[in-house]
Amino acid sequence: MATKNISRPYTIAQKLYVFYIIKGMLINLRRFFSGLILQRNWTIQYPEERRDYSQRFRGAHFISVDKNKTENCTACFLCETVCPAECIHIVAEERDDDKNPDGVWKEKKPLSFDIDLLRCCFCGFCEEACPKDAIKLSRDYEMSVSNRDDAIFDLAHLKREINGRG
Amino acid sequence: MAVWNQFPMKWVVLMSNTISIPAEDLNYTSGKLPVHSDPNPEAKPLPKVTIDGKAYEFKPGDTIMQVAERYKLHEDIPRYCYHPGMPIAGTCRMCTVEVEKAPKLMTSCSTPAGDGMVVHTRSEKVLKSRNGVMDFLLTNHPLDCPVCDKAGECELQDYTFEYGPQESNFKEEKRVYSTATTKKLSDKITLNMNRCVHCERCVRFTDDVTKTNDLVMVNRGWHKELTVTDEKVGLVNDYQGCLTDFCPVGALTMNDFRFEKRVWFLDKKPSVCDGCSKGCNIEVHHDKEVVQRYVPIFNEKVNNHWMCDEGRLSYHTYADANRIVSPLLPDTVSGRLSSTNWETAANIVNARVKNASKILVVVGTDATNEEAMLIKGHFAARAEVKHHSGFGENKALDHLLRQSDKTPNTKGVAAIGLAAMQASDVTGKDLVVVIRQGRAQMPKVEGQDVILVGVYSREEIDALKASNVRIQAVLPSLATIEKEGSFTNCDGITQSFNATVAHRGKALALPKILAALVGEKH
Repeated sequence: MATKNISRPYTIAQKLYVFYIIKGMLINLRRFFSGLILQRNWTIQYPEERRDYSQRFRGAHFISVDKNKTENCTACFLCETVCPAECIHIVAEERDDDKNPDGVWKEKKPLSFDIDLLRCCFCGFCEEACPKDAIKLSRDYEMSVSNRDDAIFDLAHLKREINGRG
Repeated sequence: MAVWNQFPMKWVVLMSNTISIPAEDLNYTSGKLPVHSDPNPEAKPLPKVTIDGKAYEFKPGDTIMQVAERYKLHEDIPRYCYHPGMPIAGTCRMCTVEVEKAPKLMTSCSTPAGDGMVVHTRSEKVLKSRNGVMDFLLTNHPLDCPVCDKAGECELQDYTFEYGPQESNFKEEKRVYSTATTKKLSDKITLNMNRCVHCERCVRFTDDVTKTNDLVMVNRGWHKELTVTDEKVGLVNDYQGCLTDFCPVGALTMNDFRFEKRVWFLDKKPSVCDGCSKGCNIEVHHDKEVVQRYVPIFNEKVNNHWMCDEGRLSYHTYADANRIVSPLLPDTVSGRLSSTNWETAANIVNARVKNASKILVVVGTDATNEEAMLIKGHFAARAEVKHHSGFGENKALDHLLRQSDKTPNTKGVAAIGLAAMQASDVTGKDLVVVIRQGRAQMPKVEGQDVILVGVYSREEIDALKASNVRIQAVLPSLATIEKEGSFTNCDGITQSFNATVAHRGKALALPKILAALVGEKH
């Protein structure tokens, strides 16, 4: 493919340089005064100050628990079935009778419940499919991790105390 | 290659009764075919019944449901208590149809079809009746589908979607069986009485099919409950897995499959059970090449609707963690068996076979017809080839399916012209090649040099070494569900099957191993 050279010669004002410096400085000055005097800031002091997100914001997952701290999940695999990103992995088992005051309603339980956050697309289908309102998405958006293994939420982590969406 | 030409597979395929993939649920398959009147004008024509505006010929004595089954109309008639393999009860009232000139709706499963009868299976009156039946069945159903293993193949679910009310009229508290909420009936079956719809298929199965009378319904009405007849004996019949196949809800579930997998993840492929010489037709249910269960397929000539528990659970042999799936060779110094690659193993066993002058090849009767022919072709000229099952003469263990010979192809291997192995055959041999890929017992080869080909577990190898067998090599081959072939069952019916799951280890198909043994390029 041939190269086409287009020359864009500088105008005299550009060659003189000083007009454009002044133009740029004026923008800086305007922002400086509007921020300092009129307090019109667009950035926030992040860790100290939090932005208020929508009530419907879909953030980190959690599994709701009942008053005995038993997970509401019965390992029905509906979230795993519906998940478009295939990020949920469940292994089911039978719950011990003596640890199961709810009888047949919680006879089955997840032995392991892993969500791979690196695959998750936060569509919220799992929350919608869940017949037990067990898996939910919180409004927590702080999910940064320092290695890939930490990005896989296991059952113990999913059962943490966290508020759901409004 | 020469051997394949010599024994073309064509004749086996021609005579075989290939298993077709079942188009429908086992609870619907009856094997009944359409009947036609004799074309001879003097012969009396068959009676006709009109179902949904179309006339169908039937055999005198058929009920309306059986006529519908003949012409594959049965999906229009829902059923709970009716099962094609059991006697008719007529208790669930789900299969009612409207018959013209009859004062009330009739149960299609128990009403004999008559000449000139006009039947409507989907009239407004019928649909209203089915809706009412569903409403009553759901009054006490716990609706615990997320926990229930039947969800996905449950007839109560399917019919609720098709006929059921959207909302229940029942506002009171549901009945709960406190003692039978989750009750182990035996080591294989778990009962959840709350889910039961009282169709009594299980009771009729133990009464009329297995004739063991294990199960019985006690009490009446609201408190009707399924229990074992004798608490001391419990549920002991050998066909308990069938209870879970035809139970229309999740009341009876198999402990082996319980909570293992949701049914909608399963891939289903037809095959033949290699658990005994009966050769029951099965469907292998697997997810991502991991077998989860066997389910019988209807075949009138072989197993009808049923299958024994021993065969049903036999897939564990192939999913065993201790199964040997890579070739093993003994260490030259210590004699310990360690895994190697196929090239090394092929070179060593090939040299070993070439140097031996007197070879005995023992073919387990779990080899397919094709494999047995191939073995005969490879070794007939240079070795003695014998077959071995270890179970002796076959005899039926009960009136249904179970056989004493636990290998699937004794008749087929014998028909190919191999003689049965005698104990004296082993003496004076340099090398014994044992080819065993299923449930045939190990031949007695103490004190011999042995090459083992087939499916073995670590425990078996250890036991052989302990009994002073000098193992020259272990060459793993594919199991029945991983290969294709054909078996001839105890009644002489040859059935061919295809591979259902992919092998996940390093085992090879038997033709390749045989080629390595005799040094042929394959």
